[in-house]
Amino acid sequence: MSAQAINGGMLKRLFLAVGLTVTSALPGFAASLDTVTERGVLRFAVYRDFPPFSHRVGGSLEGADVDLAKAIAGKMGLGVEFMELTADENMDDDLRNAVWKGSILGGGVADVMMHVPVNRDFAQRNDLVVIFGAYQRETFAVARDPSRISETAGFPVFQTEKVGVELDTVPDFFLSGAFGGRLRENIVHYGTVDQAADGLRAGEVAAVFAPLSQLEGALGPDKAKFPIGRMAAPNLNPSEWKIGMAVKQDGHDLAYRVGAVVTELLDGGTVKAIYDRHGLTHSAPAE
Amino acid sequence: MKRTFAKIAVVGAVAGGLAVAAPGGAAQAAGGPTDQDILKDAETPGDILTYGMGTQGQRHSTLKAVNPDTVKKLAPVWAFSFGGEKQRGQESQPIVHDGTIYVTGSYSRLFAIDARTGDKKWQYDARLPEGIMPCCDVVNRGAAIRGDKIYFGTLDARLVALNKDTGKVVWNKKVADYQAGYSMTAAPLIVDGKIITGNSGGEFGVVGAVEARDAESGELIWSRPTVEGNMGTLNGKESTMTGVKNATWTGDLWQTGGGATWLGGTYDPETKSLFFGTGNPAPWNSHLRPGDNLYTSSTLAINPDNGEIKWHFQTTPHDGWDFDGVNEFISFDLKKEGKVIKAGAKADRNGFFFVIDRTNGKLLNATPFVTETSWAKGFDLNTGKPIYNEDKRPPNPVDGGGASAGQGKPIFAAPSFLGGKNWMPMAYSPDTELFYVPANEWGMDIWNEAITYKKGAAYLGAGFTIKPLFEDYIGALRAIDPKTGKIVWEYKNPAPLWGGVLTTAGNLVFTGTPEGYLKAFDAKTGAELWKFNTGSGIVGCPVTWEMDGEQYVSVVSGWGGAVPLWGGEVAKKVKDINQGGMLWTFKLPKT
Repeated sequence: MSAQAINGGMLKRLFLAVGLTVTSALPGFAASLDTVTERGVLRFAVYRDFPPFSHRVGGSLEGADVDLAKAIAGKMGLGVEFMELTADENMDDDLRNAVWKGSILGGGVADVMMHVPVNRDFAQRNDLVVIFGAYQRETFAVARDPSRISETAGFPVFQTEKVGVELDTVPDFFLSGAFGGRLRENIVHYGTVDQAADGLRAGEVAAVFAPLSQLEGALGPDKAKFPIGRMAAPNLNPSEWKIGMAVKQDGHDLAYRVGAVVTELLDGGTVKAIYDRHGLTHSAPAE
Repeated sequence: MKRTFAKIAVVGAVAGGLAVAAPGGAAQAAGGPTDQDILKDAETPGDILTYGMGTQGQRHSTLKAVNPDTVKKLAPVWAFSFGGEKQRGQESQPIVHDGTIYVTGSYSRLFAIDARTGDKKWQYDARLPEGIMPCCDVVNRGAAIRGDKIYFGTLDARLVALNKDTGKVVWNKKVADYQAGYSMTAAPLIVDGKIITGNSGGEFGVVGAVEARDAESGELIWSRPTVEGNMGTLNGKESTMTGVKNATWTGDLWQTGGGATWLGGTYDPETKSLFFGTGNPAPWNSHLRPGDNLYTSSTLAINPDNGEIKWHFQTTPHDGWDFDGVNEFISFDLKKEGKVIKAGAKADRNGFFFVIDRTNGKLLNATPFVTETSWAKGFDLNTGKPIYNEDKRPPNPVDGGGASAGQGKPIFAAPSFLGGKNWMPMAYSPDTELFYVPANEWGMDIWNEAITYKKGAAYLGAGFTIKPLFEDYIGALRAIDPKTGKIVWEYKNPAPLWGGVLTTAGNLVFTGTPEGYLKAFDAKTGAELWKFNTGSGIVGCPVTWEMDGEQYVSVVSGWGGAVPLWGGEVAKKVKDINQGGMLWTFKLPKT
């Protein structure tokens, strides 16, 4: 901790000596709070094509992560800039591309990456970043066709009804192994939650099992036709996780400041208002 | 000989400013290589028209001027820099035709270079879109040539045909959707006017395919998915189903079953068969997909006319280690007990060296080419199936036993998923009747786990740590006798080997090392006879050809590929290697 503080201080002095234009031209250098403040702009990494969090609508970037980033920058009196990130095979790679090194294809890094799971094991194996600022608690839920599946039904109903999942997700894994593999023949695999929701609309499946916010985003107004709820799943692991942010490992001071702003936005109801606006259920992460 | 004469005639005509071209020779020069020239590439040392130095992929040259007596004098003639700030892995094999070298570079670049001087003739840089996400570095493995066109695949999954003399785009076709994670890094293969490619990337939820296009127009002729249950196409219509739906897959998993053909293929004109290797099945955790999961981690023999599968051999049924089965299948004549068997060989990621009857896919022999193959005791030659060590399959996370909840019990398996041999092609010498395999000695701690993250959501995944098996070396170039599977000699290299191999009738074997050396060995004894430091790691494929009566050797240098992307103990052996991007060309000094 103290060694990092010293390094941070030395880096800051170095930046001041050589001038800001040089530092902004160096990919891989995440900005400290001082350089961000002087630059006047906070640069966020958000996922590309990732409704309802960050996606293009008629050319403009929209979504809950985008709005939250704007609110954070606004609260800090800074302008906001976005770097859209194509998801790699796992988020360890995404952290490298977004904040600590940059993609091998160029484009530099962002100051802050949105939508990063806050989990101890995950943080431990990604020690080149600081993960902080949980703003949402994510859970899994089932959207169902009420004409085929009753409100009180549990997972055994999928011995006779088809259920859509995104390939390789925790719901996929859970259903494949549940009840001695007896549900396996009725699992329909989709590439994305959006495609699974289309499958539900088209009657290909009677239900979709996926993260709650993604289900809400994918169904939009159709939530009225396809109620979203829970089914008891004692062995679902993980059953919930927290979503926060990441900065490069030498950006502790930036993390503290942004983290404090997020707490203010949570306490003041701004995060919930943003989620409401996008038709999403906000669950404040437990302390 | 005739070919050399024709070229001299053309050069003479141009120098003299004559409008009248020499008969035959001019047509050849203007038109470029024909389908016949491509099929006979291995017999014509004056050019290199195919990836593999012949469609069978033997990587053998009949040239003898450079040999154990003369190789010590081998010296650089020129070197060409790929330039720019973009370097990274250079896994390419040069193509040589009519005094021009065509070589691909990282970031989907193609260079045409004067073979005599090293002068650049033209350069093509593919304009790559934002948001491409190639799995393992930004490599390209080489081009293909036919007629007046030179072809290569790009990181955004396009196939590009350029005029070979000007570098101007003739056509540029989208082969797959880069936004779904596809890319194209392998060298295309050209057979009878068709350009034949596999697909790469998109490990998640895609199905591998082999596709044939008209080399002139780029229009799709046929496509053959690699996973059973999926339909092929021929001339715009559905043709036949691959395999039998749900024979070796449960539920709908065949629709997203993997089996990417990311390393391309070879072709044997004698049996008129394409040979393509297929990648690992999806999803990663094998407990979720009971069955053999055909035709993943296999070699497929395919009819080039219509895309029908003639036979298959699955090297890792029900793959649970990410071994893949993409490795090159090299056709050769197996001379055994007075008979000549039309055979083929494959050194698989899973650590076994397979010899297979290439007329019917029957397994003739399978022997380890690395010191440890912990996942299987061996192969049953009657059934063609592995004899598994079931305790070396990464256990199901449901059964617990890992370091945290949802983590499966870790096991140590060898080879590691980077393979006993990865992408780098081996070579065969019909003179010594030996294969030369660039192998690596490493294993992995591996476990299935429930918690990895994609786009902020929890997914299934696997954890692994790659570990070298020995203190002093990872790489091992091994000469293997296909008649017995015995290792005749080996050369040990500290860093993992990641470059291709070349053999010559001059009793030499060439390969490059990450430490930067191009090395020549005695093909019979393995004695190291010559080396030259190219300044960066070599992960490309050396070639040799004849020009103006002299033998030349070329290789690209430029460290990268998948190895530097993985950390752990392997990283220690390669962390000091600098990046690069150069084509080096050597010959013997004139006496």
